[in-house]
Amino acid sequence: MQPLLETCDLTKTYKLGRNRIKTAVDRLNLSVPEGVVFGFLGPNGAGKTTTIKMLLDFARPTKGSATVFGRPTTDPSTRELIGYLPEQPYFPKFLKPVEVLSIHASLAGVKRSSVKPIALNCLKRTGIEEYAYTPISKLSKGLTQRVGIAQSIVGDPKMLILDEPTSGLDPIGRRHIRDLLLELKDEGKTIFLSSHLLSEVESTCDIVAVLKSGKLVACGSPEEVTNGNSVVNVETQRLAPEPREALKFLHVGVEQRAETTMLSVDPKQVYQVMRVLETHAVSIIRIDTKRESLEEAFLRLAA
Amino acid sequence: MIRVWLIAKTTLLENSRKQVFHVLCLLMVAVIASSSLLSILTEGVKLKILKDLCMTCMMFGGAVLAIALGATGIPNDVESRTVHPVLARPITRVQYVVGKFFGTFITVGIGVGAMALAFGVLIYAYEHSFDTFLLTATGFTLLEVAVVAAVATAISTAASPAITAVVTFLIYIAGTTKIGYLGGMIERSSSGSVGGVYRLIYHVLPNLECFNLKTALVHHDVVPTTYLIQVAVYGAVYTAFVLLAGCACFARREV
Repeated sequence: MQPLLETCDLTKTYKLGRNRIKTAVDRLNLSVPEGVVFGFLGPNGAGKTTTIKMLLDFARPTKGSATVFGRPTTDPSTRELIGYLPEQPYFPKFLKPVEVLSIHASLAGVKRSSVKPIALNCLKRTGIEEYAYTPISKLSKGLTQRVGIAQSIVGDPKMLILDEPTSGLDPIGRRHIRDLLLELKDEGKTIFLSSHLLSEVESTCDIVAVLKSGKLVACGSPEEVTNGNSVVNVETQRLAPEPREALKFLHVGVEQRAETTMLSVDPKQVYQVMRVLETHAVSIIRIDTKRESLEEAFLRLAA
Repeated sequence: MIRVWLIAKTTLLENSRKQVFHVLCLLMVAVIASSSLLSILTEGVKLKILKDLCMTCMMFGGAVLAIALGATGIPNDVESRTVHPVLARPITRVQYVVGKFFGTFITVGIGVGAMALAFGVLIYAYEHSFDTFLLTATGFTLLEVAVVAAVATAISTAASPAITAVVTFLIYIAGTTKIGYLGGMIERSSSGSVGGVYRLIYHVLPNLECFNLKTALVHHDVVPTTYLIQVAVYGAVYTAFVLLAGCACFARREV
């Protein structure tokens, strides 16, 4: 697949004082192919929003470069094909959602005669057509968020950059937006999604990148990012102190329960653990393998 | 061009809802309307004072409006992050700054228009005829307002609303008094370098006094057309130059 968005050693530093420099983004290399949902993860302050700002030319990179559709991000024409949802979107409070979307449709180059029908259709797709004529000042945080999402899809962009799209939404709203994202993906749109809701990212993203202190620490499909990190759970009869001591040396996670003990074992150490259990004549109740979730992988990579 | 107009339209809608716009417009219109209470003076002098007062109201009110609205437009958008979805569209920073300027200028123009209307009605009530030179004087007041709005917009691309308002107001005061005050300082300066600095300040500061046609309106003086054309060109060029500087500054700014 042809990369739609590429960054090459993208770096952004900020001067904090006379001799203090903070590196917000450090030599970031990303490649986002066309038609995928790309999850961009990282803890607070990891550099996600700074990266997005550089992709949209809100901030200039200190070093490196970024291209969208093969053109540098400084070229305003790249934004003809991009829809952007900022984190916690703000719009002039006196405007109504239909007016906000009409302005953005016109800015995106939609023909004058099609502006209003397109604006109303986008509001319908995000489930807020009944609030089309209610001033933004009277809308709740969740409804304003939906106006933001509707604003991002107005003008039929090829690529969407969404910063926390489900922030402030209730579970029904989150499900609605997740379905909308999958619908947009089926329409062939490329989605660059920055989110803290890892279950959401896991269920919608084809590729996941994890950023930590401005550096890329993992990138690949959710399976690749969590690959090789499955855990074997062994439930045994409640362990006596002796086998517990022996297992300590194997770095096995031991959780004593009322009647039983739960061991979390690295798959590579299963045989050694079994040998210890056999030596101490411990009865095994249950063995199962649990694949690492994206949330667990995120905590491992970003903590 | 349509994108500039869209930014201008949104700015106009936003500005026209601001309290400062309503309060200043009402205050200035009220001052103009109540100036007829100057009936204690004799008729001939009364009309001259009335015209003088109304023109001052229009010029000062327009400038204060331009400063108040121009200083807050861009910084508020950046602060409240309403600028992000807009700049994520295929518009250039130049289009954005120019759109903000036109939005501010049109809003102030509406305010000045309301003041001019009240002024015109008042004059008609006294003279029973309409002085067409009032239109010319209003046009040049608008040109002065455009220069002030451009200065405020340009400074606001880099500074906070408070700093922008103070600096623009100081420039406005300096611009309306510079010929008498700075001109005298240039003449009096003995040192060449000091005189050079004064001359530089003199030429960089806008000459706002040239837009003031109050004396001609009050005394029915004839103003040469060539002078009016020169002043109009000067106003347009100065506005464009200041806006260009503002655009260059905003183009480098991180939002």
